[in-house]
Amino acid sequence: MKVQHTLHVSRREKTGTRYARRERAAGKLPAVLYGHGKESVSLSLDHKEALKFFHSGERVFDIEVQDESVSQTVMLKDIQFDYLGTNPVHVDLTRVDMNEEVDASVELRFVGQAVGMKETGAVFSHPSSALHIRAAVKDLPDHIDVNITDLEAHHPIYASDVTLPEGIVLLTDARTTVAVVTIKAEQATETTEAEDVEGAPAQPEVITEKKEEAEDKEG
Amino acid sequence: MPRMPKRVKFRKEMRRGRDRKATKGNYVAFGDYGLQALEGVWLTARQIEAGRIAAQHFLKRRGKIYIRVFPDKPVSKKPLEQRMGKGKADVDYWAARVKPGTMLFEIAGVSEEDAKQTFARIAMKMPVRCRFVGRRLTV
Repeated sequence: MKVQHTLHVSRREKTGTRYARRERAAGKLPAVLYGHGKESVSLSLDHKEALKFFHSGERVFDIEVQDESVSQTVMLKDIQFDYLGTNPVHVDLTRVDMNEEVDASVELRFVGQAVGMKETGAVFSHPSSALHIRAAVKDLPDHIDVNITDLEAHHPIYASDVTLPEGIVLLTDARTTVAVVTIKAEQATETTEAEDVEGAPAQPEVITEKKEEAEDKEG
Repeated sequence: MPRMPKRVKFRKEMRRGRDRKATKGNYVAFGDYGLQALEGVWLTARQIEAGRIAAQHFLKRRGKIYIRVFPDKPVSKKPLEQRMGKGKADVDYWAARVKPGTMLFEIAGVSEEDAKQTFARIAMKMPVRCRFVGRRLTV
């Protein structure tokens, strides 16, 4: 985490679906601030500004609530999305100290071209796109780089293989696969329309009907 | 081969409403890019298969396709010129319930440009408007 930006926020006096919708229509993003045993506060962020920071991987901010001169350090805790799954409709912010240890998910970025990708039918996939870590707020990285240049086919990189910056503890299971190069089997890929004629069951097996037949036999 | 369940509890099913929006299965979970439905529909097994074949013909052996919907809903249909009544008709086809926002296909291991071209071909086979999406923010 290099530079800590300031989020411009204002208090939301009226809460609820109707008022939250009006906020969004006005280019704002409804949010809630809680933590450290203090009362939760309903806030409103600038939608464009907030998304610009979130997309760059930033999680920790300073906020200045309007009509309050005190600045607070907050961390992004959760984002709620709409039904399309990409547009944020609400965010959770939590109060933090810079030296406090927190659990967070950090995005992985894959660097380089894997050696295994030179083989025919090689497919690079990354089952995990983020790692769950524990670190002091001041040490939280925006992202973690994973070097995949030496990645060979069928030799996955596990979470434990990822080099973490100092002061960061891995919480994700060490045996979680982070990146892997697989070679596609020829037979599995070459399925064509001709296959569906042969050996296709017309209807699936009905479980409940079988039970009834068995009961009849017993009776 | 069009997909269908191997085993079911009941042979036929009621039609049920389809006016809700997706609350799950609406983000890219496995691949890098996805094709998202913007309208609701009963997507037939044949349509899903047509999409898969269109993608595979374009990609050859590159990348990996994930099909995020499964046709587990039996849809019955009476024969032509059949009078009403006389019980529920036989199953005509299997369909996947797709709500607005449902992720239909995902792709991994190809460039964004290739993914866009692949999904454009799949979208031609889909009976609904679709859009191309990437992975969303992780927190």
